Amino acid sequence: MLVAEGVGKRFGSRWIFRGVSFELEKGDVLAVLGSNGAGKSTLLRILAGLLAPSEGRVEGIQDFRAEVGYSSLDQALYPALTAREHLDLAGRLRKVLPQVEELLAKVGLVREIQTCSTFSSGMKSRLRLALAIQTSPSILLLDEPSASMDAPGQKLVSEIVSEQAARGVAIIATHQDVDRRLATHEVQLNG
Amino acid sequence: MDEILAIFLKEWRTELRARNGLFVSFTFSLLSVVAMGFACSIRTPSGSLGAGLFCLTLLFAAVVSLPRTFLSEEDQGTFELLRTLADPGAAFTGKMLFATLLMLLTGALLGVLFPILTGLEVKQLDLYIVAIVVECLALGSAVSLCGALVLGSPNRWVVVGVLALPLLIPQLAMAIGAFRAALGDGFVAAGWQNVAGLGGYALASVASGPSLVGAVWRRGG
Amino acid sequence: MRRLMLAAAITASTVLYFLVPDAAGAWTRPDLARMLFFHLPCAFAATLFLIAMSWFGWRYLSTRRLEWDARLEAATEVGLLFASLTMVTGILFSQVQWNAWWNWDPRQTSFLLVLLLMGASVALRGALPDEHRRASACSAYAMATLLPSIFLLFVYPRLPTTYSLHPSTTITNGELVGIYRYSPILIGLVILWFGIVAYRSKVKAVLLEKEFITHVGPLESDLDPAPPARVGRAVRVSSDGGPEG
Repeated sequence: MLVAEGVGKRFGSRWIFRGVSFELEKGDVLAVLGSNGAGKSTLLRILAGLLAPSEGRVEGIQDFRAEVGYSSLDQALYPALTAREHLDLAGRLRKVLPQVEELLAKVGLVREIQTCSTFSSGMKSRLRLALAIQTSPSILLLDEPSASMDAPGQKLVSEIVSEQAARGVAIIATHQDVDRRLATHEVQLNG
Repeated sequence: MDEILAIFLKEWRTELRARNGLFVSFTFSLLSVVAMGFACSIRTPSGSLGAGLFCLTLLFAAVVSLPRTFLSEEDQGTFELLRTLADPGAAFTGKMLFATLLMLLTGALLGVLFPILTGLEVKQLDLYIVAIVVECLALGSAVSLCGALVLGSPNRWVVVGVLALPLLIPQLAMAIGAFRAALGDGFVAAGWQNVAGLGGYALASVASGPSLVGAVWRRGG
Repeated sequence: MRRLMLAAAITASTVLYFLVPDAAGAWTRPDLARMLFFHLPCAFAATLFLIAMSWFGWRYLSTRRLEWDARLEAATEVGLLFASLTMVTGILFSQVQWNAWWNWDPRQTSFLLVLLLMGASVALRGALPDEHRRASACSAYAMATLLPSIFLLFVYPRLPTTYSLHPSTTITNGELVGIYRYSPILIGLVILWFGIVAYRSKVKAVLLEKEFITHVGPLESDLDPAPPARVGRAVRVSSDGGPEG
């Protein structure tokens, strides 16, 4: 379903990582592990099509917008828009039903009417999750999904990953045990 | 088309809620035209010099305010989110349309104030108005393209000026020719010829911009 | 051997420059008219590399192969070199023949803008850290500059409203006679040869650098105490979270 073969990335002449390979089938959950700066987020950005690999190849994705859901702590939200407006915009841009109320209820933001500039980091993470699953993607990429989450938030991440496993594959970049426990496969970026 | 409209409306909504950027851009344009007016307060410039000064004012306004629609995505960290949501060509077109609308508003404001403050008389009003509209379109598309290309650069605000200025000077030369005629210092027919050239330039930028930026922002390789 | 031949050709061109007699005709300084031998071919070479830049940009955007970006980088740098030489020889020529270092002649101004466009391409290349992102942005800019460059080089100087000190019919009307007709062509060929050699060397250097980084490691200039590249291979984990082996 998703194959990475010898994927490597360098910035300038310095390699961040090299030779990352895996083959995932429907139902697999891969945890990408490694210390800070090991290249976990970079690997996820390559899988999301946001960066091109310096070597190797990724196969199994034809339409990134429809097939890949991506959520990362580095991904900022529009401070002047509300959560509803984000989902509505995302739905229109990706040509899917926005399912605004359902998604907000799912991630626990249904009562929030303010713009995202007033959101806590946990609330932003929840909205990013909602945006990532809006298209019911076959590949879900989550970068440190539980990092700023409280206990109910971590439970939400676990639910979303379980649902995703029924639909396709999930890849989680993490250094937290709570996320690691969800994985069926692991890839370590520490050599 | 729906995607372009969605991006355009997002820009519109964002600008209206955080008016700071818009306010700063308009104030800058206003300041530059007032400075030009002050410089001309002792003696009214010739049509040729006036045309040059007016184009310079438009250029300042464009380079300061137009790339903001793109560069602010990078500054606030939302560029990656935009890439995951939108088709690159549609995102560029929506943003370019919004930037061009801003430029048209700025152009209209400057177009009214410039003759008043400098004491220049507009001899060919139709040519003057059409030249402002076409020049704003040309500036909007070219600066937007440069703004889109420098995303990801740590010193993008400087690089965008370096990229945009040599691209803009040919079209400024045509715009000066058109405004010179509109301000009564040259042949009207030559002025319209310049407007036609400028229109072709704008059309080429508008037509090529989405596919070029689409190729740069494309996901997956 | 080829390099030796090129060196011989460059020496021959230099000797030819000093051997030709002073120009006949209405020159302010007939003895310095021979500057034309270098000025004109440099301008042609710069224009050729400018067009090549757009072609390489288009090829990169269609194929996403970094070889085309290496070609674009080389064409930009060699083009910039020739554009700079055109400007320098042009400014000197302007001073000795028209008695002004700079007089806003349409061709002089146009070429300055073309030089700026090439300089902007180099600036853009240095501004983006990721190689693919850099390659695609530089390719798009190279394509975007084609239209203004054509306007600046071929249309603007010929507009009826512009007046240029540059004679535009000298070559077509056969106003250059004798050795002054053939020398620019001969020296032009040598200059173009030098340009192609410089371009190919640069392409080779860029590709070699990529090869070196891929197979050997970081360049010496980039060495620092950063950890070596990580390698990752997926392993299946058991239900208790430990690897199965």
